[in-house]
Amino acid sequence: MEVGCLLLFRTLSSPLIRPPLRRHSWPVPSSPLLRASSSPPPLPSPPSAYPQGAYRGPKPRRDLVGDWVSNNDGFVRSLPIFVGGLSLLAVLLNRAFSGIAPVTDASSSQSRADILTLALAVTNLLSGLVWLSIRPKYISPVVPQGVDCKRINSKIANYAVLELLWAWESLSATTCCRSLVVVHGGFCLLQIGVAAESLTEVGEAVAVDVHKLIQSSVYRNVAESGKQSYLANLSLYPAKSELPFLPTTTQAVILQPLGNSGIAIIGGDTIRGFTDLDQAWITLIAEKLDVTLSKSQDN
Amino acid sequence: MPSLSRASHVSAESSTRGESAREMERGCGTILGGSIPLLQPRRKGANSLFPRSSSRRAQNRRRFAGVRAQDRNSQQQQLNLSVLRFTLGIPGLDESYLPRYIGLGFGSLILLNHFFSSSSSNVTSAQLRSEALGICLAAFSTALPYLGKFLKSATPVDRSSLPEGNKQIFVMSENASVTQKEDLAWASYVLLRNTNTMSVLIAVGDVLCVRGYWNMTEDLSKAHIVEWFKSQIQQTGFHDLEDTLYFPQKPDSDSQLGRMLPKGTLSLLVQPVLSTSTPTINVTKKTEGFVLLVSSADYAYGDKDRAWIRAVANKFQGINASRNFHGVETSQ
Repeated sequence: MEVGCLLLFRTLSSPLIRPPLRRHSWPVPSSPLLRASSSPPPLPSPPSAYPQGAYRGPKPRRDLVGDWVSNNDGFVRSLPIFVGGLSLLAVLLNRAFSGIAPVTDASSSQSRADILTLALAVTNLLSGLVWLSIRPKYISPVVPQGVDCKRINSKIANYAVLELLWAWESLSATTCCRSLVVVHGGFCLLQIGVAAESLTEVGEAVAVDVHKLIQSSVYRNVAESGKQSYLANLSLYPAKSELPFLPTTTQAVILQPLGNSGIAIIGGDTIRGFTDLDQAWITLIAEKLDVTLSKSQDN
Repeated sequence: MPSLSRASHVSAESSTRGESAREMERGCGTILGGSIPLLQPRRKGANSLFPRSSSRRAQNRRRFAGVRAQDRNSQQQQLNLSVLRFTLGIPGLDESYLPRYIGLGFGSLILLNHFFSSSSSNVTSAQLRSEALGICLAAFSTALPYLGKFLKSATPVDRSSLPEGNKQIFVMSENASVTQKEDLAWASYVLLRNTNTMSVLIAVGDVLCVRGYWNMTEDLSKAHIVEWFKSQIQQTGFHDLEDTLYFPQKPDSDSQLGRMLPKGTLSLLVQPVLSTSTPTINVTKKTEGFVLLVSSADYAYGDKDRAWIRAVANKFQGINASRNFHGVETSQ
């Protein structure tokens, strides 16, 4: 998406990456196109302001409450607690200073009102506590130490190469993935991203020793079970030594089998950085890769 | 009786090569209807008050199918929850809406109390103060689930249900190449499975793929369906879209859009497929097509979902170029 933007911005004086205004220089150079970017959602404008070829359909409304809550996340989380706590105090004080006997006697309508209000205050309090407890903890990513590399096996067909590169771009853009190694059919087909620096050749990445990898315990476990293996905190696992090509500061690794004859090793820069959703997507992408790579191997 | 709930579902089931390959073969045959598992229990994820998920300090009490997560500690950076949760065990009751029900119920009781007491005796000012506070609290409690939806840890609860009046279809343009058909079949399958989606429409170049539950009034043949969708798309102008278009709530149903979309649409996401920047391609058009997703739940697509959908849409980048390029391989 950035590439498309860069094309447009060649004619602009100030290069901006997601600005609210964009000059539309093709194909009608006379009238500039003023559009808002899609996040937050753009406000509707009269269709006559758009030249030919621009989208003129309905646009979503701006969601002010949603934006405000997202921006003030911490404050909103503790809001119910304060509201509930203060109301609790207020009810008790009201009762104390109004000269009513401090007995919750349900026969009096005052007491009934108080009890109902207290129950509501407690609900708010509990809700606030739950919101606080499910606050996601922010774990900062660790910069992977190594060299950038992009090694593609020349034996595979071009469409397979394109698919592998697409998989890499998807993973690096949407997840915390920083290194990707794909081994299939006994060969290392792709080693891309950050890799550990070789000790003998400075500036070069460590090559993937496929023989050793296939005999290693991580590969055998994954191949036997046929299921994805997620090492959320790599420093806790001894398997680290069996993956010497990954940067030393890799925090999380996903080992995804590609059918019966391959494995994809995905290294991330954050502890527990891959979510459930990421794992599910990686599983499905791996199926597609397996089919494509097998097809390429058969030819 | 309140009970401790068990685990969350993990959407990915055990993946075998056969399953995906079958999907692609099915795509080539352009089967109409079929037994595609469309609405998987995606993530019974959480929302404000009483979300459901697996336990903290998980001792592998999670029920999972195919994906083994070896993290012991519960907190994750993004949406997932692994905390011991409280649930009433009533199916269909969304615990995150409990504050709303309590707020409405108790608020009405306060009003009842007020009118009952004002008819029988004098209402003291202390009671009035108490009741006013109670009404304010009730209003605030009612708004709590709505606010909670926007918090960072709120996952879209899979409240989606299949609305009536739609038909399940799976059609593809006839003029697509074999690799294109495979890609389209796989992409539509993956989008239906991994996101909270009811229907999918992929239009790239001059190739169309429609899958899921759509509002088909008459029984048309496959070719007619494709033509009908093409004409509908022409009128909506989605081909001119350059940015992601996301309607988290029901889009305006009176417009052209409403006629095309299935009944019960609550969220709509249109993701354009941007063209690659190689200088050989004529870049008067910045997009090559789009991917349209419809869901029967509102706020269905979070940031992460949208990022992955963008990644899937990028798969179709350069499809027009690759079509010529794959001239040799299309014979497979």
